[in-house]
Amino acid sequence: MKTVTINPVTRLEGHGKISIFLNDEGNVENAYFQVPELRGFEKFCEGRPVEEMPDITSRICGVCPEAHHIASTKALDQVFHVEPPPAAKKLRELLYSAFFIADHITHFYILAGPDFVMGPSAPKAERNILGVIGKVGLEVGSSVIKHRSDALDVIAMIGGKRIHPSCGVPGGVSKPITEDERARIESIAKSEVEFAKFTMKLFDDIVLKNKDYVNLITSDNYATETYCMGTVDEQSRVNFYDGKIRVVDPEGHEFAKFPAADYQQYISEHVEPWTYLKFPYLKKIGWKGLVGGKDSGVYKATPLARLNVSEGMATPTAQAEYKRLYETLGQKPVHSTLATHWARLVELVYASERLLQLSQDPDITNPNVRNIPTQTPDEGVGAVEAPRGTLFHHYKTDAKGMVKNVNLIVATTNNHAAISMSIKQAAEGFIKKGEVSDGILNMVEMAFRAYDPCYACATHTLPGQMPLDIKIYNRNRAILHNIRRP
Amino acid sequence: MKPGLSHTTILLVGLGNPIMGDDAVGIHVVRLLKDRNRVRADLEFKELSLGGLGLVEEILGYEHVFIIDSVASTGTVGKICEFSPEHFKGTEYASSPHSTNFATALELFKKFENSSVPHTIRIFTIDITPEFTFREALSPPVQRAAFELAELVENEIEQIRN
Repeated sequence: MKTVTINPVTRLEGHGKISIFLNDEGNVENAYFQVPELRGFEKFCEGRPVEEMPDITSRICGVCPEAHHIASTKALDQVFHVEPPPAAKKLRELLYSAFFIADHITHFYILAGPDFVMGPSAPKAERNILGVIGKVGLEVGSSVIKHRSDALDVIAMIGGKRIHPSCGVPGGVSKPITEDERARIESIAKSEVEFAKFTMKLFDDIVLKNKDYVNLITSDNYATETYCMGTVDEQSRVNFYDGKIRVVDPEGHEFAKFPAADYQQYISEHVEPWTYLKFPYLKKIGWKGLVGGKDSGVYKATPLARLNVSEGMATPTAQAEYKRLYETLGQKPVHSTLATHWARLVELVYASERLLQLSQDPDITNPNVRNIPTQTPDEGVGAVEAPRGTLFHHYKTDAKGMVKNVNLIVATTNNHAAISMSIKQAAEGFIKKGEVSDGILNMVEMAFRAYDPCYACATHTLPGQMPLDIKIYNRNRAILHNIRRP
Repeated sequence: MKPGLSHTTILLVGLGNPIMGDDAVGIHVVRLLKDRNRVRADLEFKELSLGGLGLVEEILGYEHVFIIDSVASTGTVGKICEFSPEHFKGTEYASSPHSTNFATALELFKKFENSSVPHTIRIFTIDITPEFTFREALSPPVQRAAFELAELVENEIEQIRN
């Protein structure tokens, strides 16, 4: 038996390892995506004052600290039983929209773009942002940098810093914005809307007008049929900041719709001995292994899953793009893993339009941005849609507000099973008779890159000290060596 | 020279996760230097927990940049090393965390006109043993190296001024 290992997985936060086991014929027998690192934030937070949580948990990751900060702040609202004023909620959502813009721009142009602009089989030296800029031109590259940077400036205006914001407090945000800041945000938002439309057109020109790419997107090698999860507003439209969690089955029928606080009634976590990352699944369906379909509790929580669970988008251009996606692909839900890139751009349009809407809201400069908590703290759940999926923060405290228990279900963790399945599917489809080229391996990597996974965030659970378990198998899968460090 | 400053602009960047012990030694060195040079108008200080594109965006517009970070030790904990961006040329097209890595990002900005890439970028590192213990303090050997490096960087800054 031959083993092919992609290690480290590139363009991925944290470290990951894909192991593909080939049989004697050189075809794929099995494939695993392993996460050999872990963090300990849940345990570490015990005993800390709960109001520190938005700042502590944002340090889980250098890429999506805004998601942790806002989910954590929402959890604090519940812990202290305090409702933020309307302007505070709008400022949080405004910051959050800017965060989505920066994140989705980065993913499309820097992580996913090279696979399509340069081609999935292009040499490594060209399959990167420098190659993309060389092909689409310096002017586009400059615009990418500008619009990403402008979105970070918006985050800094509200959150104090371009990364690791510190504005979230129980009952609101730490400061209002001035009229000058509002005007600057409005100006940025108008430009972001135009840039999002430009990006959508670029995707049309480069990807959708290329028959080979469309065939790749819709091929069976990239189709993982599972349940889908995402947050929706009262009209069941996509919402990143607040709403109910909706789950649809692989055929698109509503399976559940629940407030984030009830997540434990719907989600359980399965543990496998070969990875530090857990596998969340739908409790009422059950864990049936790494398999898809209606009888398996595996679900996705991705940009595409968010569109699949929703009835539309809350802004006009995003709604038109949402309709076009489903009309073009001819079905809903869509389970093509690579269509996640398209869904991400529909969300980029929505985030930009939402940023503009909020910047023009007459209430956005209202100085009343905090209600001071007066209740005894106890327990709270906060959830948001991180760019790569649903994120839950759950805290329990004593009466003095000291943390007793923390549970985090991070976006990438929600997608762990689906990512593993997508990788195996792509490997089975592309690796035949032992032929493994760099281009083929990249096409396998594309299966997980579409999820934009973030393992720095996902591997946060640690029961004290890090155990290390190394098992070495022979061709008959018998363990030859087992080395364990407690 | 950065607009609005009459002297050479020098930026000191400390990198790391401030709650991961020795990982944050870069931040500790910058704090030491900040304490000693509080009133110097030609100096700016940044404590950052990021890399790649975000890091390069933070250093644009400064003439001289010192980046201080920790590295996983392969030998002696507390050892101080200096690198230039040229040392990372080989990583230009390699892996990156949700963004692009430092060398690639720097190369990207060099392509843009008026992107204000610094005249000099010097990268100093201190060897540490990566750990999973959460704390804000440094271990004794890394603390000693932090004092040593702060002095070294301060001397380098004086040479630029002279």
